[in-house]
Amino acid sequence: MNKIIKVLTESRWFSSLLFLIALFLITGAINPTFLSYGNIITCFNSSIVFILLAVGISFVIMTGEIDVSIGSTMGLSAAIAGSIAQQNGSWVMMVVYAILLGLAVGFVNGVGVAILKVPSLIFTLGTYGIVRGLVYIYSGGRTVENFSGAFTRFSNSTVGNTGIGIYLLIVTVIVLIINVVETKTRQGKYFLAVGDNYDGAILVGIPAKRTKLIAYILCGIFAAISGIAFSSKYGQVTIIAGSGYEMSAIAACVLGGISLSGGLGNVIGAAIGAVIMSSISRLLVFLGFSSEYDNTITGILLITIVVLDSLLRQRNVENARRERLIARSCSKKEIRKGHSQE
Amino acid sequence: METGESKKLLSIRGITKAFGQNLVLKGVDMDLCGGEILALIGGNGAGKSTLMKIIMGIYQPDAGCIFINGKEVQIINPSVALEECVYMVPQEPMLFPNMSVFENIIMGFHESNATLKARLQEIMADIGWQMDLTRKAITLSIAEQTLVEILRGLMRNAKILILDEPTSALTFDEVESFFRVVKELKNKGIGIIYITHRLNEVFEIASHVMIMRDGVITLGGPVEKFTREMLVRGLLPVDAEHKVENGSVHAAIDYEHLEPAFELKDFCGYGFNDISLKVYPGEVLGVAGVVGAGRTELVSTVFGRDKSLGGKVYLDGKEITGFSTAKILEAGINYVPEDRHYHGLFCISTIAANTTSALLPTPEMGNFILDTKNEYSITQRFIDLFRIKVIDQKQTASSLSGGNQQKVVISRALSTEPKMVIMDEPTRGIDAVARGDVYNIIHQLREKGVAVLLVSSDIEEIVQLSDRVVTVFQGRINGEFSKDEITVDNLTIASFGLTKDEAMV
Repeated sequence: MNKIIKVLTESRWFSSLLFLIALFLITGAINPTFLSYGNIITCFNSSIVFILLAVGISFVIMTGEIDVSIGSTMGLSAAIAGSIAQQNGSWVMMVVYAILLGLAVGFVNGVGVAILKVPSLIFTLGTYGIVRGLVYIYSGGRTVENFSGAFTRFSNSTVGNTGIGIYLLIVTVIVLIINVVETKTRQGKYFLAVGDNYDGAILVGIPAKRTKLIAYILCGIFAAISGIAFSSKYGQVTIIAGSGYEMSAIAACVLGGISLSGGLGNVIGAAIGAVIMSSISRLLVFLGFSSEYDNTITGILLITIVVLDSLLRQRNVENARRERLIARSCSKKEIRKGHSQE
Repeated sequence: METGESKKLLSIRGITKAFGQNLVLKGVDMDLCGGEILALIGGNGAGKSTLMKIIMGIYQPDAGCIFINGKEVQIINPSVALEECVYMVPQEPMLFPNMSVFENIIMGFHESNATLKARLQEIMADIGWQMDLTRKAITLSIAEQTLVEILRGLMRNAKILILDEPTSALTFDEVESFFRVVKELKNKGIGIIYITHRLNEVFEIASHVMIMRDGVITLGGPVEKFTREMLVRGLLPVDAEHKVENGSVHAAIDYEHLEPAFELKDFCGYGFNDISLKVYPGEVLGVAGVVGAGRTELVSTVFGRDKSLGGKVYLDGKEITGFSTAKILEAGINYVPEDRHYHGLFCISTIAANTTSALLPTPEMGNFILDTKNEYSITQRFIDLFRIKVIDQKQTASSLSGGNQQKVVISRALSTEPKMVIMDEPTRGIDAVARGDVYNIIHQLREKGVAVLLVSSDIEEIVQLSDRVVTVFQGRINGEFSKDEITVDNLTIASFGLTKDEAMV
């Protein structure tokens, strides 16, 4: 039992979970009507698109890079899935198309960043534009709608009478599987290692470039899969579907304890962060704010956490450097003297 | 071929390596057997690290061959070196700070965790170490990080272990226990190449010793055959006394009647301690010492790049301790940094913009709209004065040769007309002609009465230019030399932390 508590308190995602619970409790304290089973389960149910996006981009962020093209990829995949649904097409086809699309975008991003060494923000900003353009071309500037009933109904189906959506169940299973892959397999550790110390990773024989490439491909695939969920859930796909989602997904990862400089965090944190991000607008309504405050408050939250993270990291690096320099210049006695003064 | 060649773990024959026109290794031979600790010593730029990087496959030699266990191998990249059981522990350990010790050690292996753990525990029991494997690497001291690096090597069945100045960041206690560890490894039959700047360590731990100077091995053999004096002699250039003259033909400085332009009193900071020195107007004060002695940390702290921990700094009698860099510039100190690419040039800006960049905050460049005429005339003045070879001022700084880039950086430092200039390695990586020009610039500064603090790893350069020299050893000043005492021998001996009596040359 003690061991479990120790593992939990040392995990970065655990503090994110506490933060989520605190958010719910605070909202409940101000407006008790919020704390109903139905409301809380809705918070989770409505976060699945963000969870998928956040899980995908968490791979890229762990390697110390970024991908801002996921919102566009999601939009294109949603449009494709939508037009298949219009013709009553099969799920298998949607998933195959989504995987192919995600693979292609992820591969291009991965080659640009890992192999051609273009700064990831710039390169994925480029693919963001290209893929968004493809959404316009694909849908001819029109909203894709009028899906078959089965497609949209599926998103409303729940597991028995629990209120837990079938999508939420699927996504939870995916997150748990990814978590096992990430923590128990060699490749999973490589993502963190490459983000933690890129040159050090090469020196111990880790295929650093390939690891980054794989991270981008996984990120693209998850973004595309989230597109299917998106179009099933909302029943229509506009040409700007998914724009701005990349920021929410990045924010979700950061809230979930994944360090933007890479090397820290795990996928459960990303999922919890996604729940926080998608619940905020709902919480604001219960707190009596109008939805116009959404973006501002999300932005403030994100910046606060990123700044704290960055300050802590800088302090750690600086302290380590200074310690090394002190060790180099002092004799034993002076080190002791220095410590006792402090 | 010598007899017994096949018993040698590592044999190196006739390795040469040049970077551009700079011949760094001039035919190096080296042998290492199992159970030997080969201490490799040599001054800055002797070629030690280049040789080690060739053994690790990070660089490729221009000529020569490497034999491991008597078999010739082409080490084309670090993976080949790892396969051949060669492992280098870098001076700054390359760990994954956010991972546990265990994860750090097993990273890059393909076996299951359980097998690896069993093997690791076996190795640790074998050499009698204990370490909490669940700690995160970020919490480890440098000594512990070095041990983790060694464990990484042992897990790869390393038979040849290269330790690059492993004790340079260790405290006294840590050094003692570290030596025990190294001796245990030696008893296990592992061949160790031990790079160090500390001659004491050679006699304490090494079985063999080798001295490198200017890309050649000047002497080598079992430690018993050598005395400290012989090692020091090996470090010194042959008949250096005749070769390098103190180039200063300048009248001696009247120390009696001059007030120092710059003074440090018991100055302490990260990487150095209790530094007291004075620089007089029109004087070049050389600061000599081996890499890592704390020279660069000292001057960058003076320039306000890091927090000082005690002591006082005076410029023209006024205290400037703890000023920010902008304030220090304003007070009249400027700095030519060690690495012109990282800290010096604005590479894709024009030469004019680079030269006048330090003047940007001053009214000289215009109050709001930049005074481009003035920018042009200031830049032209320096181009003419220092013979900077440019097509025109609108050229980008990155398009210049190294020597001309350095002159632009120096121009920038001088454009603020400082009372004192700190020059950190002013001629690193530039050709002989440009070097001569930089020396001329320094002479000009001296004539104008500017104080110059010259930090250089090139002892001959210090000898040529300085009016007075202090040597820094492990973060402290351990010697001061007046003009007639400045010789390559004296400075080299002091840089290695010895006194003249100890060296008895």
